[in-house]
Amino acid sequence: MNAPATADSLRQPLSEAAIPQDLFARMRKQNLARWPTGAGVDFEAGVERHKSLPRHKQLAPVLRAADAEGRCLTQPRGGFGTFELQRELMQTLDRDGHADVVPTTTDSYTRNEQWQLAQKGIEESERMGRSMLNGYPMVNYGVDHARRLVDAIDKPAIMLTGTSMPKLTGEIGYAAGYSGYLGSGIAYTVSYIKELSIEEGIRNYQYLDRLAAMYQEAGVELHRRQPGFLTGTNIPPSIAIITAVLDCLLAAAQGVRNYGLEMGQTLHLVQDAAATVVCREMCQEYLARKGYRDVFTPVTLLHWMGAWPQDEAQAAALIGYGGTLAAIAGAVSVTTKSTHEAFGIPTPQANAEGLRTTRMAIYLARGIRLDGLPEFEREKELIRREVRPIVDKVLEMGDGDVAVGTVRAFEAGVLDIPWSPNRHVKSRVLPARDADGCLRILDAGLMPFPKEVLEVHEERLRRRAERDRIAYGPELAVASVYEISEPVAKLLPDRAR
Amino acid sequence: MPSGTIVTGVIGSDTHIVGNRILTMALEKAGYKVVSLGALTPAADFVKAAVETRAQAILVSSLYGQGELDCRGFRDLCTEAGLEDILLYVGGNLVVGKRSWEETEQTYRAMGFDRVAAPGTRSEAVLEWLAQDLSGQEA
Repeated sequence: MNAPATADSLRQPLSEAAIPQDLFARMRKQNLARWPTGAGVDFEAGVERHKSLPRHKQLAPVLRAADAEGRCLTQPRGGFGTFELQRELMQTLDRDGHADVVPTTTDSYTRNEQWQLAQKGIEESERMGRSMLNGYPMVNYGVDHARRLVDAIDKPAIMLTGTSMPKLTGEIGYAAGYSGYLGSGIAYTVSYIKELSIEEGIRNYQYLDRLAAMYQEAGVELHRRQPGFLTGTNIPPSIAIITAVLDCLLAAAQGVRNYGLEMGQTLHLVQDAAATVVCREMCQEYLARKGYRDVFTPVTLLHWMGAWPQDEAQAAALIGYGGTLAAIAGAVSVTTKSTHEAFGIPTPQANAEGLRTTRMAIYLARGIRLDGLPEFEREKELIRREVRPIVDKVLEMGDGDVAVGTVRAFEAGVLDIPWSPNRHVKSRVLPARDADGCLRILDAGLMPFPKEVLEVHEERLRRRAERDRIAYGPELAVASVYEISEPVAKLLPDRAR
Repeated sequence: MPSGTIVTGVIGSDTHIVGNRILTMALEKAGYKVVSLGALTPAADFVKAAVETRAQAILVSSLYGQGELDCRGFRDLCTEAGLEDILLYVGGNLVVGKRSWEETEQTYRAMGFDRVAAPGTRSEAVLEWLAQDLSGQEA
């Protein structure tokens, strides 16, 4: 069910180095032959397509402009199983939701390269008159349909594909005029697949990054983006940022120059603002160390990625507050959810409402910054002290090579991800929410965080355990998974306890 | 103290593992022997594991909406494998979009699931169901 490994003749030893031109040409040929619609990809035509798009439909310059102006853009998710439903959805998000960036989320069969199952899903969806797939089967429909989707909106389009196997989806979407692609070799391989090794995931995204760089070399700047939200459930900022730095270095090595960084909101205003600043700063610090000085790395925050409350009033608070957080944090964009989140995929109308709620909150929070606030400065410094020792250790383990170091570090547990479905990840590290509402590390597993840093985390978490009368240990982690989805009467009872 | 073997996993191409892992932890703590298949598990693998371990129940998780496609024919697979009487539970976000729970529950009942857990169902509720359903089976 996972992607077949690359044929041996196309395989070099793992390294961060850019894939050589002739080898890449052969890899592309083989990749595009895997499904009939691959034949519709023509690189030269793709370059012309992007050059013909107005600037306001190209994500890379749109993000650069938003960053320069200090704006926080909005972008939802959205994908349905048939072309007609998808087009209607994208138009609703564009026109009724005022989305600044319009998405196409692919379905889970496409993500796992099960294109035959996706084909059945399309047929079932048409038969039932409603989407039976949780996203748009980009590969099955091919380049021409994807072009029509991009033409149906007046904003830049981004592919959201939650996969460690992006090669054919990425070729088709980029060729059609999508100017952004969310996904990366480390983050998505640890979050979206069970069997695929970290090495294969890195190799798959080296392909996509090289492809984006090839467009860059042909005069078209495309946007690539790292999904540092990982498994989406209580990811402490430092763990997100560590993967962001490593994925970013891998992309830069292939030649990518426009690379966004995403993090799920912790929902603590100060921690989120600190994480936003430090994420970009750490990426730039390590990019500079490796000699890359021209990579643009804007940060995107995501509405709460864990379990949502079923009460739509409570959900609306998370949506509005998430807009506030992103704006104050200085994020260049925020990825939105809707009041339907607890139940699954929203209707286009609910999705558009989530966008407007967020947009209003961003408007209200304009201009507010936390610089100089002691708690903000302390949190930033704490995150730096967590990120640097791990990234340094990974680079050391790879003798300077990010790809090799990353694989070795996951084997050793030096890199670890909470709640990972992937067998190649130890998943011993365990997060929990502290008494103030910040995400902390309850159990570091084998990750070599400094002792003094972990003491800070433990002290905060013990205060929470004591206050809420929860045993200090895994139960605290489990309680933190449910917490945000609990009824508000339980979280904040009418009468004092 | 409950006893018995239970197979858990997330069906199809779904990677949402957190709730399933919490449920698995609760089942183990309650005294069950749990065969945890993890994320991205094909329907046939659930059945195979249940046959091999002589399990009393299969607990299927699905959070990504496509469970309706993945779970079709699940009961038939069990019957074909000689597991006519095995308990089948399913839970999570079981359809694409917000539909009425009654309709969703009915859909899955019709597919042969004995219990259908709505979004937000806690592990304690599942433990109670199991205690009731398994004691009935033994009697």
